[in-house]
Amino acid sequence: MVKKSLSLLILILCVALIMMGCPKKTVVKEEPSVKKSEEAARIEAERAAKEREAKEAKEARERELARVKEEAAKKEREKEFEKSLVAKKTPGIEGEVFESSLLKDIHFDFDKYDIRPGDAEILKENATLLTKNPKVKIQIEGHCDERGTVEYNLALGERRANSAKKYLTSLGIAADRISTISYGKERPLDSGHNEEAWGKNRRAHSVILSK
Amino acid sequence: MLKHFILLFFLFLVFIPSAETRVYLDINAPAFVQIPIVTPKWKSVDKTPPALSEKAYEILVNDLTLSGFFRVIDYHRLPINLRDKQGIPAGILLQEWIPAGGEILLAGETSLESNGLTLRLRFHLFDLVEQKHLVGKQYEGHLQNLRNIVHRVADEVVLQLTGEKGVHNTKIAYAVLQGEGKEIFISDFDGANMKQITQNHSLNLSPAWAPDGKKIAFTSYLRRNPDLYLIDLDGKNPHRLSYYPGLNVSPSWSPDGKQIALMMGMEGKSDIFLIDANGGNPKKLTKSHGNEASPSWSPDGKRIAFVSDRSGSPQIYTMATEGSDVHRLTYEGNYNTNPSWSPKGDRIAFCGRIGGRFNIFTIGIDGTGLQRLTSDSGNNESPCWSPDGRYIVFSSNRTGVSKIFIMNANGINQRSLTQSKGGESSPSWSKRFE
Repeated sequence: MVKKSLSLLILILCVALIMMGCPKKTVVKEEPSVKKSEEAARIEAERAAKEREAKEAKEARERELARVKEEAAKKEREKEFEKSLVAKKTPGIEGEVFESSLLKDIHFDFDKYDIRPGDAEILKENATLLTKNPKVKIQIEGHCDERGTVEYNLALGERRANSAKKYLTSLGIAADRISTISYGKERPLDSGHNEEAWGKNRRAHSVILSK
Repeated sequence: MLKHFILLFFLFLVFIPSAETRVYLDINAPAFVQIPIVTPKWKSVDKTPPALSEKAYEILVNDLTLSGFFRVIDYHRLPINLRDKQGIPAGILLQEWIPAGGEILLAGETSLESNGLTLRLRFHLFDLVEQKHLVGKQYEGHLQNLRNIVHRVADEVVLQLTGEKGVHNTKIAYAVLQGEGKEIFISDFDGANMKQITQNHSLNLSPAWAPDGKKIAFTSYLRRNPDLYLIDLDGKNPHRLSYYPGLNVSPSWSPDGKQIALMMGMEGKSDIFLIDANGGNPKKLTKSHGNEASPSWSPDGKRIAFVSDRSGSPQIYTMATEGSDVHRLTYEGNYNTNPSWSPKGDRIAFCGRIGGRFNIFTIGIDGTGLQRLTSDSGNNESPCWSPDGRYIVFSSNRTGVSKIFIMNANGINQRSLTQSKGGESSPSWSKRFE
């Protein structure tokens, strides 16, 4: 009985020994294959990195190209704006200002200073121009037709210039880029004495103070 | 210069007035009949050049005509036997002037002192109806002040016959269009001595005499903003008084000369502000959301008339000088502007639109008694009272161009101030210069 038990124990031990030895053998066997796959991954990663670098470089080149193009376009716009400027010196009034055909006038109804819907579109275009030319500072002049008195028209012109300014600032143009001045009925565009002339003269006109 | 002026303008009476003051003309009546006044040729005493008497006579007849109180019967209109009579008649010979057709006889003579510089004017007034002597006076001054001396004679004649001195020694300031700009000018009441005050080629607007008559406030665009300036009458010492961004326009002096009411645009729209006469301490008086314009101080310094479109159209209002106690004055028409408070304090002149045309009106300070003074004569704007309240100066384009006109406060006797080409606006009347 004891002998039988002992031989069983030996058997168990042997099995245990075999079982313990086997994994060792496997590990030793497997080592070279792991090394091989790591290298492959590294090569793959390097390749990918190179590819990425190349892609990034290409993208950077493209971005640069786009930037240069944009720059050129901006310069072109500035040039276009620059080209549109006409220096204007008024006798008896300090300083030189510029007129630009790209900055459009808006017009008003008799004795009114609210912005009409069509004129709001014009102011939006003016605002776009100002956004694209961020260094530009303007002065909005409020004008009236010849009817009515000098002083009341000065008040009306003040309101018209400020209506236009308010609208431009509501579109995001900084208030410190816009000053206002009322000329009342003193500077008519059209010296006629009829509806057509009066309609032209009731206006908010912008001049460029600095570019 | 001033000392010289005062010295030579020494005035003295030759005769004590022989009649108690009787008012021949009640100019406050709604419609008065002009006094027919006979004015024979003036006489040159001793070696005084006849041309001097002719000149004095011409200025005097014009003054009396411009006053609007007289129907002047000058020597051209006299019966042949009286036409060449010169100088001052003896009292007993008054009868021979009855056929001339006047109620009053104004006779006078000029004499130039041997120094050739001092001029003396002597005149007498006679009542031809009652056949009596009224008054006789003598004025003297430097030859170069001939016009002023004659104006003093005219002022005295007006005083004797209407109970209040004339305004012949006053001046009117106004703006004149020159190219694209406007310059400030002044002229005497009779349109003579037209003088350019500003020479800056800018846009110069709304002149207003300081109460002491020594300076004029006005607005100029010289620095690319409508700023308020002060300037001497000889165009010297222009001084920038108020220059906040936006409007600094339409000045009106307080009667004591210590403050100026004006339109300012500090808050993006025109409001009435008060500033000290040195330009400091701006104080906002108006509180509505409307456009506020054209302040005009009351003669007692307690209230200010102004324009506001707070009701939807420009109308005349008055307020206390603190901005409180606001009253609306005008309800007729939808465009009433340019108020001017009368020197007597009872009425306000303004410009109102009627049938598409602008005309001058006056209204009582309680809003009653609206009176229209101009009609069928183009556009009439910017009324301003004479210091005695008996005339109103205004601008009118009735001749096709804008010119300065003067009329009696009841609207009669409208005449243009100068023989200019036009382009004149915004008149302001000075005090009397003594």
